[in-house]
Amino acid sequence: MDNMLKIQQALTDSIFEVFEKMFYVFLEPADGPDGAYHYRAGINFSGPLRGEVTAVFSRPLAEVMLKNMLNIGDNEINEGLMEDCLKESLNMICGNFLSKHDSTQVFDLSIPTYASGRQVAGSTEGIDSEAVTLDFQSAQGRLRVVMAFPGRDAS
Amino acid sequence: MSFNVLIVDDSNAMRAVIKKIIAMSGFKIDECWEAGNGKEALEALSHAWVDVIISDINMPEMNGLELLERLKKDELYKEIPVIMISTEGSAERMEKAFAQGAQGFIKKPFLPEDLRKTLYEVIGVGTDGQYAEDTASADGLDF
Repeated sequence: MDNMLKIQQALTDSIFEVFEKMFYVFLEPADGPDGAYHYRAGINFSGPLRGEVTAVFSRPLAEVMLKNMLNIGDNEINEGLMEDCLKESLNMICGNFLSKHDSTQVFDLSIPTYASGRQVAGSTEGIDSEAVTLDFQSAQGRLRVVMAFPGRDAS
Repeated sequence: MSFNVLIVDDSNAMRAVIKKIIAMSGFKIDECWEAGNGKEALEALSHAWVDVIISDINMPEMNGLELLERLKKDELYKEIPVIMISTEGSAERMEKAFAQGAQGFIKKPFLPEDLRKTLYEVIGVGTDGQYAEDTASADGLDF
């Protein structure tokens, strides 16, 4: 249980750091999903700790992340840039988390995955009880991040 | 003094961010080449000379550490300074990168100042064209 709390704290700190440094977005913890997510990105990690991180983003939040990251306007947003931006956000969140979790160990990260559209809604539901689920809100929109440890007792 | 830079990252968005930070930092860039992985970087190098390479680690086809190994074994490219920029910031990974010949390591997420400072240290010239060692001695810093 203590280990899961440590994981939750390290993951939360990592998410705040990535969003503030790279996207200039200030998140606050929220009480649950709002069901209006449009984009999903995921990444797997392996090494002394194995698992997967999945994040779903509301469209307004994702658009602000992309605009802030690249300093571009609404008319310059496109699907390719959005995919790159959100995949990179998962790459940074996961890498940053692993550094905080144990900087003395080497972990391997997979190439991130990405999906957009209606199929994203509810895509983080039904993950086993070993998952850490975090919900955030900001002035720009909502974010849900799930870190799961398939086939492993993370406690 | 202006520089040719090669940015290697599988994310178009991250390449654009790095390019923008370099431009805003005041470094005089002549040409800025881009590659999506290590293989593309080697292909780019066969067409153009660069003064510094900034490379991600986690990329498909050929990752950043494999690229670094290839560069340091090549008589033509081994002197080109390489800055690794990665989310994978474990002490062992950083030590491995430096042991393989990387001259800088920036951990993502990073602030624009982190990249500017590392570039300054690695290429030895500040945004005003002054050499790092001159500034270092003036500031009493030990480079």
